[in-house]
Amino acid sequence: MQQSEEQLRAWMIGGLGGDAAAHAALLRALVPLLQSFYRRRMAQAQNDIEDLVQETLIAVHTRRESYDRDRPFVAWLYAIARHRMIDHFRRRRATVPVEDLDQILATEGFEDSCSARLDVATLLAGLSPKQARSIRDTHIEGLSIAEAAEAAQIGESDVKVSVHRGMKTLAARIRGDLP
Amino acid sequence: MNTEELIRLLSTDVPRIPRHALGRRIARGVIGGGVVSLLVVAAALGVRPDLGRAMLGFAFWMKWTYTVSLGILAIIATMRLARPDARPMRWLWVLAVPVLLLAGIGVGELADTPSRDWLAMWLGKSWMVCPWVVLSLSMPIFIGLLWSFRRLAPADLRAAGAAAGLAAGAFAASVYCLHCPEVSAIFVLTWYTLGIGLAAGFGALVGPRFLRW
Repeated sequence: MQQSEEQLRAWMIGGLGGDAAAHAALLRALVPLLQSFYRRRMAQAQNDIEDLVQETLIAVHTRRESYDRDRPFVAWLYAIARHRMIDHFRRRRATVPVEDLDQILATEGFEDSCSARLDVATLLAGLSPKQARSIRDTHIEGLSIAEAAEAAQIGESDVKVSVHRGMKTLAARIRGDLP
Repeated sequence: MNTEELIRLLSTDVPRIPRHALGRRIARGVIGGGVVSLLVVAAALGVRPDLGRAMLGFAFWMKWTYTVSLGILAIIATMRLARPDARPMRWLWVLAVPVLLLAGIGVGELADTPSRDWLAMWLGKSWMVCPWVVLSLSMPIFIGLLWSFRRLAPADLRAAGAAAGLAAGAFAASVYCLHCPEVSAIFVLTWYTLGIGLAAGFGALVGPRFLRW
């Protein structure tokens, strides 16, 4: 079961106050949350997810001084999770043998996905920051509406409306109706 | 190790974290490194013999205010960047305020000085060493900040490195004021700022490597 922001934050603050039981409850509750966070983003590397979850728990534990009690907990957690994931990819990249690289790039459609990403970035740049962020979070990063709302600290309906309006603008622009 | 064991292990060590723990940790890094820089100045360069008299004058406090204000702003930026969910920092333009104030004083000085003395005033006696000494003295403070960051979670390592380098450079320059006898504003504006900028550049360069976690 996924715990609410209020509950997670209460446990985190309890742990910062020295309450070991609250800290353990927090770490246990984070496991399913982090598993689904990584599973959704790392289709190719399901085997690494358990390692990443553990690394993230360790980072949450050792770097908990960097949490500000007055700010949302989940946004802090996902920022750490994202950083761990990027670092994980960076380490992986470094160990890919060079001979196989063109093979890998070709099979993974690296070039296509790169240019697609550039196109998307150009298109999103024409939207308001909130619309661009909502679309990026829900359609590219793969966050759920609830996660995106939490990360951006806006309401869920606000996310939905932003995505809808943004998509409409983008569609009009691609058709050539708008500059 | 399975995850449940890990959680049990981590939960045996849950010290209390006071509310301002992050600020204190960064302060400890700066002060620890600053003391080393201070000892280096005292032992290797020597505190200027007329320090007591200089502290009654304008130039000393101008230099001190300039460097310390840059250092405080850089430390605030460093503290923000030490959190993974750092927000954009649009207030950083205030870093320009001390620079512009000092430039204003410099213009006033130039107006009061015959133009044939301008070059001597700008270069002083130590322009060739000043930036390098500031950069060297910033290293202990930078290392102190690297120690602070070991328990913190910067997401943008280059920006965090640059902010830490800027703070280290500015406080190193404050320490260097105890030795440096230069008095002109344009000297400080050029050569101190260059040294501080070098320290910030160094921080940005090595941040991604040394701050990695």
